[in-house]
This record gives sequence, C-alpha cells and structure tokens, in this order.
Amino acid sequence: MSSTSTHAEVTAADTAGRWPVLLLLASGLGWLVISGIFALIASIQLHSPTFMSACEWFTHGRVSALAETTFVYGWSANAGLGIALWVLGRLGGSTLRAQNWAVIGTLFWNLGITIGLGGIATGDATSFALLELPRYVQPLLVVAYIAIGISGILAWSGRRTEGTYASQWYAVAALFLFPWLLIAAQTMLLWSPVRGVLQPIIDGWYVQSVVSLWLAPLALAGAYYAVPKITGRALPSYEFAPLAFWTLLFVGMMTGGRHLIGGPVPAWIPTLANAACWMVLFHFTVVALNLRGALTGGGTSLTFISFGLLAYLAGAVLDAVTSFRGVALVTQFTYFTTAQQQLALYGAISMLLFGSIYFALPRLIGRPWISGSFVRSHRVLSMVGIFLLVGSLAVAGLIQGTELINAKSTFGEMAERTRPWLLAVSVAQVLLLIGNILVLVNFLRSVCGLWCSGVVSEVGSFRQPTTMEVHAS
Amino acid sequence: MMKNGFFFFIGLLAAFVLGWSSIPLLAHKQLGALTPFYDDGESSSFPTRPPGVAARGQLVYADLGCAACHTQQVRRPDFGSDKARGWGDRQSVARDYIFQVRPQLGESRIGPDLANWGGRKPPVDAAGIAQFLHSGVVSGSKAVSHPPFPFLFDDRPVVGEVAADALVGLVEKSSRRQIVPTERARTLIAYLQSLNNAYEYPEARHVAPAAAKEGAHK
Amino acid sequence: MSTPLHQDPRLDQAASTDESLLAAHDKLLGKQPDEKGRYKLPPLHLLFFFSGLIFFAGTYLNRYSGMFDARVYNENTLPPSGETVVAKLDPLVLGKKQYEAICITCHQANGLGLPGAFPPLAASEWVTGSDDRLIRLVVYGMTGPMTVKGVLYNAAPMPTIGKVANSQYNLSDDKVAAVLTYIRHEWGNTGAPITTDQVAAVRSKEGDRKPYVEAELLKLN
Repeated sequence: MSSTSTHAEVTAADTAGRWPVLLLLASGLGWLVISGIFALIASIQLHSPTFMSACEWFTHGRVSALAETTFVYGWSANAGLGIALWVLGRLGGSTLRAQNWAVIGTLFWNLGITIGLGGIATGDATSFALLELPRYVQPLLVVAYIAIGISGILAWSGRRTEGTYASQWYAVAALFLFPWLLIAAQTMLLWSPVRGVLQPIIDGWYVQSVVSLWLAPLALAGAYYAVPKITGRALPSYEFAPLAFWTLLFVGMMTGGRHLIGGPVPAWIPTLANAACWMVLFHFTVVALNLRGALTGGGTSLTFISFGLLAYLAGAVLDAVTSFRGVALVTQFTYFTTAQQQLALYGAISMLLFGSIYFALPRLIGRPWISGSFVRSHRVLSMVGIFLLVGSLAVAGLIQGTELINAKSTFGEMAERTRPWLLAVSVAQVLLLIGNILVLVNFLRSVCGLWCSGVVSEVGSFRQPTTMEVHAS
Repeated sequence: MMKNGFFFFIGLLAAFVLGWSSIPLLAHKQLGALTPFYDDGESSSFPTRPPGVAARGQLVYADLGCAACHTQQVRRPDFGSDKARGWGDRQSVARDYIFQVRPQLGESRIGPDLANWGGRKPPVDAAGIAQFLHSGVVSGSKAVSHPPFPFLFDDRPVVGEVAADALVGLVEKSSRRQIVPTERARTLIAYLQSLNNAYEYPEARHVAPAAAKEGAHK
Repeated sequence: MSTPLHQDPRLDQAASTDESLLAAHDKLLGKQPDEKGRYKLPPLHLLFFFSGLIFFAGTYLNRYSGMFDARVYNENTLPPSGETVVAKLDPLVLGKKQYEAICITCHQANGLGLPGAFPPLAASEWVTGSDDRLIRLVVYGMTGPMTVKGVLYNAAPMPTIGKVANSQYNLSDDKVAAVLTYIRHEWGNTGAPITTDQVAAVRSKEGDRKPYVEAELLKLN
C-alpha cells in the first residue's frame, strides 16, 4: 500500500473541500445523539405517563416534537446534505465551490434549530407535524438552507463530464425541491394560514414530501454512489433508473394524505394518496434491482446500505398495504403508524446515510476510522435496536388497534396490554442511543487525527481503484 | 433529459407544481371558501363560532402537544368503534373546523377522541376538569390515567377569601394555601368544554348508501 | 469482479474510479433495451409491472374517489344528485321551537294563557276547530275582543305572525304550519295536522290584509 494509491483514491478535491462536509456530518451526528435522548424520554412516557410530565418543557407532546424535529432537521438534514455535497463534488470532478457559504449556512441552520428547539420546549411550537419549529426561526432556515445548497448546485452545474449519474439526480432534486416545499408549507400554514382541515391536509402533504422527496433522495444519492464504487460493478437494470427517479418525483408528493383515511376530508384525498402509494412501488422496485449488489457485498458500508435498502422496500410495501381502508381501520391512530415512520426515517434513511458516512469519512480525512470495534458495535446496536424498535411498535400498534375497534375495551386495558411492548421500545431507544454515541465519538476522534497524528495508528491503506467494466450487468 | 441541465430543472419544477396542485391547491379550491351551513329550521348557522376564551384555549392545547395522544376527528359509524364509544354520532366533516384557528385533528389515539368531548354525557364541570388536569386521576379511581400537569396551576397563599375555582381537598385548610388554575388552565378548560359538533350537516348525513336512501324517503 | 473485499470494518475499499463509474453508467443509459437479447427480459417484466400498477391505481382512483366531489366523505358513495336535500325536521320539534320562541310569552308553557289577559290554547275551540279560522288568526293576527271557552278577552291583540305585510315575525309557511300542528297536539288537544300547503293556500287567497276581527273569522267555518 503505497502513498501514491492513497492519492489516487483520496483526491485533492476531497481534501480541499472537506470542511463543509465534515462540519455537516459532525453536526448531524451530534443532533442524532440529542434526538436519541428526547426519543428515549418520549418512549418512557408512553409506559410511565407521569415521567417528567410535571415539567412543562417535557410534556409528551413537546418531547415527541423535539425528538422528531431534531431527528429530521438536525440529523437527517445535516448528514444528508453533507453526503450530497460530497457526492456532487466527487462526481462533478472538481473542488467544492462556495465552501464559505456552505459553512456559514450550516452554522446558521444549526443555530436556527437550536433556537427553535428552545421555542418548542417553551411552548412556541406551531403544532404542525414536521413543521413544529416556531415561526420566528422559519425564515432563517430557508436562508441558511439555500446558502448550503448553492455549493451543491454549483458542483452540479460546473461538472466536468457531460454524462450524469443517478446519485447526482437524486442529490440535485433533493437540494432543489426542499426550499420550494418549505416555502409552500410555510406560506400556507404559517404566514397566511389556510382554513380548517386544509391545515392538516397541507401538513400531511408536506410531511410526506419531506420524507419522499428530500430525505430519501439524499440518502439514495449516497447509496447509489457507494454501491457501484465498492462492488466495482455497474448497476443492473440501470436503464430504468431515470424512470424510477421521475416516478418518485411526480408521484411521491401525492402519497401524503393516507393518514386522513376516514377523516374529515373529502374521500378523494386519501384515495388519491393510496393510489399514488401503489404507483410509487415502481420506484422502489427499480431501486431494489439497481442496488441489489449491496446485499451480496461485505464490509461496513454495504452492510448498512443493505439494511437500509431492505427497510426502504419493507416500508414501501407496508405503506401500500396499510393504505387499504380495511387495514387502515386497525392500524390508523396507533403505534403501528409510528412503527412505519421509524422504519422509514431510522431503518431506511438513517441506515443508508450511515453506510455513506462510513464510506465517505476515510476519504475525507485520508485515513481509516480510528476504532474498528466502535464501528462493529455501532453496526450491531443499530440493527438490533431498529429491529426491536420497529417490531415492538408494530406489535403494540396491532394490539392497540384491535383494542380500539372493540368499543368495550377501555384505554386502561389498552395501556396494560401494550405496556410490555412499549418497555421493549424504550430498551431499543437505549441501544440506539448507545450506538449513536459510539459513532459520534468514533467520528470526532477520527477527525481529530487530522491534527494530532499521534492518535492515528495506521495511515494510508487505500487500494488503487480500477476501471469499471461496462458490460458487467 | 438527464444530460441537459435546463430540461432537468424544468422537470423538477414540473414535478413540484404537479405535486403541489394535486392535493394542496385542489383541496384549497374545494374547501377554502367553505361557509357555515344555515339551517332555516333552527334559524341559525352551524358551526357556531367558539367563544374567544375557547379559541385561546386551543392554542394552549396545541402548544402542550395534546394532539400527540388525542385525536379530534370522528370516523363514520360503520368505520371503527367511534360511535359505539360515544365519541360522536356522525362522521366529522370539513365544515366542523372552519372557525378553528389551529384544528387539532391528531394522528394518534393513546387517549380518547375529544372532538365532541364538551358535549359528552354526563358532562364534566370545570372544577372536575381542573382536578383531572392537576392530578391525572379520574375522580373515583386510583390509577393515574393521564400525565398530571401541575404547571397549569398556581400554589399560592390565600389572601382574603379562597378563590372560587381553587381545587378542593388538596391542601390542609390550616396551611392558608390554595391551588388555583392559571389563566392558561382556564382557557384550556373552556376550550375542552366548547368541543361539541352535534349538528348534522347534509354532507355528514350522506355517509352511507343506506342512510342516504332513508333520508330521501322522508 | 473477483477482487475480494477488504474486511477491515474501519475502511471500505473502492473498486472503481469515479470517471469509470460515470462513463460505464452513461453508456448503459444510452443503450436501447432491445439492442441485445439478454437485456430484453427484465425490462419486459418491469414494463408489465409498471403498467399493472398504473392500471390498478387508475381503477382504484376511479372506484373510490367519489368523483372528486367535496361533499363525499364515504369513498363507497357517489356525490348526492341534484340539490342538497335537507331532511325535514319533525313538525312537532320545529313547532315547539317556534312556540317557545314566540307564543310562550302570552299563552304560557302550559298553554293556559293568563286568565283575564291572554286566552288559553289548551282545549280551546279556536285551536281544535276550523283549520281556515286558525290559520288566518295566526298568519294575519286579530284585533278587538274575542271570546274563548265562553270568556271574553280584550287585553291585547293577536300579533301578525305569517310572512305578510306589516308582520311582526315573518314566519315562513312551514313554520306556521309546524307551530299550529304543535298546539293541536299539546295539552290534550287533538286535531289534524296543518300542512304547509294549507297555510300557503290561505296566504295566496287573502294576499296582504290587515288583521282580522272576531266577526270576520266566525263567518268562516
């Protein structure tokens, strides 16, 4: 392993453009740990309702909002943007431009979230799902986001090659669409609020769009990049990737509204969402075909990506199945919908992002992660934690659903019967929290190696990558 | 399309416009100008505007995040046990919410639905609700069934008379202290008491084919 | 690729360069699916699957969208045809409401009126007697003295209730009919219900006129 091979894989563009990306990833992992603490408190309150409820800052509603906001805008957004910038920079073939903008944007984005979290805790939350951050930080978020996004858009428009790759489509789509979604939702919900049930309708549309058209594409951008890079094989069925991409873009937004089944909205809204939910399965099928190489590969990144991919597919199938009104009758308003949400956000998006981060960091700092045992522990804890979290929530949800259908059953009985599973959810949150602390520590120590080389035991073990076979599918 | 940056952006924009107009704009066109329903027989229109104190209470309900555990939407009688549980005789419709500043539909039923909670039988009076919010215990039962919210109450010394809405039986009379609902608690209680959508709109009646036929015969 | 993957968990080796990754996939996109025999099968499956999804989603949308009507909340129903049918309230309920809003001030909740001032409705021959007389009396009102159950009343005129000129209440025909039906059912009274059509017929026959006096009404039967 000579130092020249290190230079071939870790390019000058990586080194020169690493600060914005490292800052985004570090803030993302930091928020992930904080979000885990909120999520743990919220999960304990589900089986022990008096836990911290005497403190106004931590009523169950507020802690849930804090956990969700931190997870989406803190962890997923920062990490996803970091990966997107890195992938766009690499595939663009040049050093990231407008780096100062990205760094300042990241700082203000995180400042906005910090202020916003304080606002939620003290009672300024807007009460809209995924748009809980108080009105006064919302404009700041838009501006900060655009400052970060510029860097990625410049890397795309200034790319060296004529051809483009799936990672770039997904990353650019996510970067470009989110401000539109955010501004549309802010306008219709916060600045000039629409009336009555239009508010939950539009909020449902926004929540679904954020997951389907912002977070999922950011995560997919990393996965589409890492999988062929590691396996060295061109993606199978890649000719269908553009169709899958546009299917997600055009149909994905319409799938928001499933949660309004039986609700006070005209029947066509959930019906349209359900139909879209089935249409979008095409996107998932093609993604599965494209990335199936990850399932056979070993190594840290591919393990995380395989898990994320399977969760992404399982989530889609569950969404489609529960969109039937007969099934929704039981699962609606229960922990089962929470399980689906956790499967999408944690099982799919976060695991795909972890996979990309494990692949990216050594190339950003020019040396491997500092601790292999931390990596292994994080891998095991995440997988066990997510299985336990989603599985227990799903079982608790089914119990809750059958109890709700039975008009004779009281809420006390329901709490009693779901309690063991809710305890398991808390255990899962503890496991995930430990795992996330490990990855944060490992990340920070690895990055510290850039200054204190004494910490690093082994430098430069990158192998020289070869040319990809074209007819490999 | 994938190679041409311009067309790629046009495609992204088109996707956004289509997605945005499919649900938000179309729904807004249909429901944005919904008016109250005037019933000639009753000589008044429905829904009625909630009193100002209840509208303020809804904001307290929202900022405490009550919607994390309680829904405020009744499903139609043949869809779930909502009617059998006494949450409402008819399905909630869009018109129920037109005067609400922040409709709290909710997505989770860890506790009961509250859409018609103020109109339930037997009704709970303001003092009973206050007691419940403070202790989390339904009167007559021992188990905690709701997180207690003591922060909605003031524990303060009695100056002159004991306040009319002070909670009873919580402090020793000799301690000269009293536990009184704060302004926020009072508005929240007024809001909970105002939750009642009993009126049957024509569109709420038109929920099941059988029910529609019955209406036509009359 | 036969290269074994590096199993160090701290570092995933890259097997291909960025340039070759871009070039390889760009080439794949440029290729038509049917250019080579071996590409034909999976795409056919996919296209079949995609069309199936479109067909299913379209059928579902057509079946359960309630024709995209804002009034349809149950996905199994179609929009109500024609005008919105407002279910008629029970005339006794509607009548009671009117009675409690207007008549109760003088005739009292028990229908006995106030002796010496306002005549009773319970067991009154005016209420249970001629339909024509009763409708005219209520729609147009009445001035001057009046004998009910053998007792003379002259304290106050009967106000004009119906939707006619100088009416104090402007009650629609169906409400007048309902309140008349109501007073014929209450307090032990018996009598046929008064229909909206009867009230309307009287109103169109008499037009706008001043309140009646007792003699005019007694001429009718």
